[in-house]
Amino acid sequence: MEKSAWFVWPFMLGFMFALVVLLLRYLWWLRSLWRRPSSRLLSRMFSKHSLLAVREIFSEGLLHLRIYKRNRRLGFMHMSLALGWFMMIVGGKFETWFHSGQFLHGTWYAVFFRYFEPQTAGGWAGTFWLHYMDLGLLLVLTGLALAIMKRIRKRILGIHSSTRHTLVNRVALTFLWMIFPLRLVAEALTFGQHGGGGFLTGSLGRCCFSSGMLAGLELPLWWAYSLSLGAFFVVLPFSRYLHIPTEMALIFLRHWGLRAAEDLQPEKALQAFEIHACSACGLCLDVCPAIKDHPFQSAYFLRALRSGKGWESLASTCLSCGACEEACPINLGLEKLRTAARGKIHEKHHAVYSYLPTVAPVETSRVDVLLFTGCMGRLKPATTKALKDLFEEAGLTWVHLDEQESICCGRPLSLAGRAGEASALREHNRNLIQGQQARMLVTTCPICLKQFRDDYGLELPVYHHSEMLWYCLRAGRLKREKGTACFSYHDPCELGRKSACYQAPRELLQSCGTLLPLEREQADALCCGNSLGALSLSLSERQALTSRTLKVLEVSGAQSIVTSCPLCQHNLARQSRLPVRDLAEVLAVTGLPEQHGQRTAALAAVQEL
Amino acid sequence: MPKPDFGFAFAPNRALDLSAPLLPEVQVVLETEPSIRACMACGQCAAVCTAGAFTPLAFYRLVLQLRGGDVAAVGERARHCMLCGKCQMTCPRGVNIRNAVLLMAALAPPKP
Ligand code: SF4
Ligand code: SF4
Ligand code: SF4
Ligand code: SF4
Repeated sequence: MEKSAWFVWPFMLGFMFALVVLLLRYLWWLRSLWRRPSSRLLSRMFSKHSLLAVREIFSEGLLHLRIYKRNRRLGFMHMSLALGWFMMIVGGKFETWFHSGQFLHGTWYAVFFRYFEPQTAGGWAGTFWLHYMDLGLLLVLTGLALAIMKRIRKRILGIHSSTRHTLVNRVALTFLWMIFPLRLVAEALTFGQHGGGGFLTGSLGRCCFSSGMLAGLELPLWWAYSLSLGAFFVVLPFSRYLHIPTEMALIFLRHWGLRAAEDLQPEKALQAFEIHACSACGLCLDVCPAIKDHPFQSAYFLRALRSGKGWESLASTCLSCGACEEACPINLGLEKLRTAARGKIHEKHHAVYSYLPTVAPVETSRVDVLLFTGCMGRLKPATTKALKDLFEEAGLTWVHLDEQESICCGRPLSLAGRAGEASALREHNRNLIQGQQARMLVTTCPICLKQFRDDYGLELPVYHHSEMLWYCLRAGRLKREKGTACFSYHDPCELGRKSACYQAPRELLQSCGTLLPLEREQADALCCGNSLGALSLSLSERQALTSRTLKVLEVSGAQSIVTSCPLCQHNLARQSRLPVRDLAEVLAVTGLPEQHGQRTAALAAVQEL
Repeated sequence: MPKPDFGFAFAPNRALDLSAPLLPEVQVVLETEPSIRACMACGQCAAVCTAGAFTPLAFYRLVLQLRGGDVAAVGERARHCMLCGKCQMTCPRGVNIRNAVLLMAALAPPKP
């Protein structure tokens, strides 16, 4: 090395600094693991799980396939930035190896390789790596161009909202944006002065930078490249770019069986990695039903958790509709984080249910269905009645578990972060079920459904009434004729996104009428505004959300809105100009013989006119 | 000064003096969840209350007691709520009852 190498120091110092800070932070987050190493983790570490993690890092950390599936242009932007950079890191290693015959070098050698060795050695392999490196650089620059475009005009990338960044993140972003154009110019100038270079840098050098007058600029440009790299690395551990290494670590830890804690510990174990793995990609923004009114979306919530300030109000206003969790490309456990945060806010809250009557064990004969209508059952007797009529029609026997004394399933408490306080409620409901002999438990409330499935550990299968009715329809136990009714169907968050039940209600409605397509439905459906997740959203704020949801549902031609959650039904009906009914009610009515009679009479009357 | 005669009487312990200063902890609750102030004691919340079917929980009474400063009683009673949200769905004034109950229950001394 004949030339001065002082300029590599800004990069080296920044890089070392980032490494040390990262290492210290990670060790701190994992402190509990050092004290109590889990044998499960150790055994998984040396198994196929690590390979699976590598595969996921490749598909999500580099190729960003999940983002690509949601939004191709955005996915391509992320992919070209990450993959291009990765190509250059790997290529740098091979390039220096082929050039010098030595595998190990100082990190700086590969980063500033072309400054030291503008001429390519190593035969065809050397030439290959030269062009390969240019390809990597081109890819990053394409991604960069898209990223700049995204800042100027989001629509070009198919998004409406992008994350608003804090100062440190904007500084980091500026340095990051400077790195690659500077590298391009520095390499091109070196090649222009000394000859050589790949298809991009070499050609640019020959056409623009071969004049001898520019020779004096060579070193300053490499200095600038090194400085921007160094500065980026210095801010990396304190900016959102911490997500780059943290996401990889998170994927490994998840595959090794680590799970996020139930209580809020933003600087500890898997939760710390989750909170810091968010890239602020912004996919959680456009899907949020409240994006136009409130800045509580996951990208902002996680940022508030990272800074330790202001997360309380963001956690208690979010509706827990699950849209962001569904959209998040790194599958962050966002609902769990929010309930953990709510639990932290209300840690002084305790519940006492000693007043509940003890449930005597029952010995009954075997029935087909145990019906649980939950606390909403009493508010919505029409749904229960309709469902019982349908049971009757399908020839099913049933026991209504909570007809007399209905209590809550416990999920509302869990959503408020007080899952532990709900144990007495769960115990009570479990006792109701115990001793009963049935083929299945059916609930009319998707919130109960989720709670029973996830937290009760029941032996019998649990179904939502839409699933059970669909089963009856397929089995021919219920028969419906396609009528003239036109429905628009509202997917309740807890049934759709949280329990992945989209098909059953649709098939049922198709069987007796026409189901209209909506602008946002299934996994993209909007929350009705009455979610139990939000604790401190005011009524007017909720009403604004409801109107927006109704705008989607009140498509032309729709005669009624159908849903399958008592909370959605109640809430939508309060503001809708169309009647809002539960699926069971719709199905029961279309089956009634007198209804058929009425329709025939009405048609006859029309014809007579 | 003679007592004004409204033509009806009520027990002194049920009277609420709205001009009396609020306890600081009550003020915190009212500030954290301002919608509590909108309660008009219509009783709808108590009529639909899930817990109220088993125990004398009535949210509107908690509001009155809270204003009256009976913090310990409010805390004890609020702990009986199941957070089911039925009350909130029917409340004509849009009181965020679930959040209010969470704050009220925290007023009781910690669980043994
Ligand atoms: S929470 Fe997920 S979707 Fe939202 S910005 Fe972070 S990584 Fe993207
Ligand atoms: S859970 Fe729903 S309401 Fe809450 S931030 Fe995510 S998308 Fe928005
Ligand atoms: S329903 Fe609402 S306004 Fe009526 S008493 Fe209850 S909290 Fe007050
Ligand atoms: S949330 Fe509490 S106060 Fe309201 S109806 Fe349910 S149990 Fe009663």
